Amino acid sequence: MTNLNHEVIGGGLILKPSRRIDSASAKAFEDDANALVDQGPKKVVIDAADLDYISSAGLRVILTTAKKAKAAGGGLTIANAKANVKEVLSVSGFDAIFGLHDSVDAALASLG
Amino acid sequence: MSLANDVQEVGRVIDSLEEFGAEQGIPADQCLRFGLALDELITNIISYGLAGRSDAVITLAVSHEDGALSAELSDNGPAFDPVSAEVAAPEGGIDDMRVGGLGLTLVKTLMDRIDYQRDGGFNRLTMEMKLKAA
Repeated sequence: MTNLNHEVIGGGLILKPSRRIDSASAKAFEDDANALVDQGPKKVVIDAADLDYISSAGLRVILTTAKKAKAAGGGLTIANAKANVKEVLSVSGFDAIFGLHDSVDAALASLG
Repeated sequence: MSLANDVQEVGRVIDSLEEFGAEQGIPADQCLRFGLALDELITNIISYGLAGRSDAVITLAVSHEDGALSAELSDNGPAFDPVSAEVAAPEGGIDDMRVGGLGLTLVKTLMDRIDYQRDGGFNRLTMEMKLKAA
């Protein structure tokens, strides 16, 4: 069981975390994301439309999830980030590494 | 407020900050920016400085005046000055990327002022973030 909102669209796994991925909640997100990537598609989109906050612990989890997806032949990218989250992704260089997209469709298309 | 030596406390700190911000009429996104800096600093204290210590003392006070959010964060861990700690610029691709030090990079980006003092066995940090006019 997972508390992480998710769905499978067009062969991609869409993860939709809500509110915050802070240092207290990052572990639960990591466990849920890893389990879903194990079971589901390896093309992963983080749909950040409902996410107001991400800390460096959350970034670390995105990185480990991306490595897992890539090792399984897939990839990870990010869609719909709001201003606060975008700022953190930009300061960390994650925007350049994973790509930011304005829609889930565009994010999925970028994963091929 | 006094914090337990447990990273789960970070959730409580941000919840409290959101309540405080709502009472004070501070835009939620700016409260969360400030909360992020506190998250990173408190997580460092709990995960490194005071890891596993049963005699840990961590205190936090937040105030809002003159168009700025301010905080005082104290802990009785080993001396650690995050202001002068070197932070590594993020680099590399997905395979060799490391996220160490990123928390402090975020703190320094988000805060307008951070001061550190070692005082009687305590690390004392004061920081300030100016609020943007709505």
